[in-house]
Amino acid sequence: MAAKMMIFCGSDDPQKAFPPFMLGSGALATDMEVTMFFTMSGLNIVKKGGAEKIVLPGAPKTLPEFIKVMQEGGAEMIACSAAFPIAKIEEEDLIDGVECGGVATFVIDAEAADIVLTF
Amino acid sequence: MMAEVDLENIEVAKVVDARGMACPGPLLEAKKSIGTVSVGQTIEILSGDASTKNDLPRWAAKVGHDFLGALAGEGYDRLFITRKK
Repeated sequence: MAAKMMIFCGSDDPQKAFPPFMLGSGALATDMEVTMFFTMSGLNIVKKGGAEKIVLPGAPKTLPEFIKVMQEGGAEMIACSAAFPIAKIEEEDLIDGVECGGVATFVIDAEAADIVLTF
Repeated sequence: MMAEVDLENIEVAKVVDARGMACPGPLLEAKKSIGTVSVGQTIEILSGDASTKNDLPRWAAKVGHDFLGALAGEGYDRLFITRKK
């Protein structure tokens, strides 16, 4: 059975927004299953038009490119609905392929994961 | 999970109105309420939170209850769980 990596993406600060994708894409390349959980300002990564505004000079790919890599690699992307009012977004504002999840989704998937990373 | 359950006509022992609560409110209400019905009885949780329809099936599977399915209300979901233990 493939190893599972769960990544908690809690910030749109480029220094914190990019590492989940660098490590997550590496995990996919290593045949791991990856779930990314976006909450708080990290929701801006999966908001329509949001990733384009998060820029990190010197990074190997842009954030939209990284999102494409993760989605094509089969990563599961979950947006935390409890943080929607905080990030001032609605379900319709999310990019395609992102599901809504909550506390139960995070804790149960995290328990089942071999590796949990938080940013 | 049971297949082909007629949710519209299912007998519900308790309806929990968690509309207006953000996650994890509906989950915590489900946890509290399932303990107030007998094994084999079903509770219905009403939730307007977009996550609940994904959270409750995972939670039920994890803790050993049956998630029967969901019906869409107007602006909320109706979710059905049978207590199994």
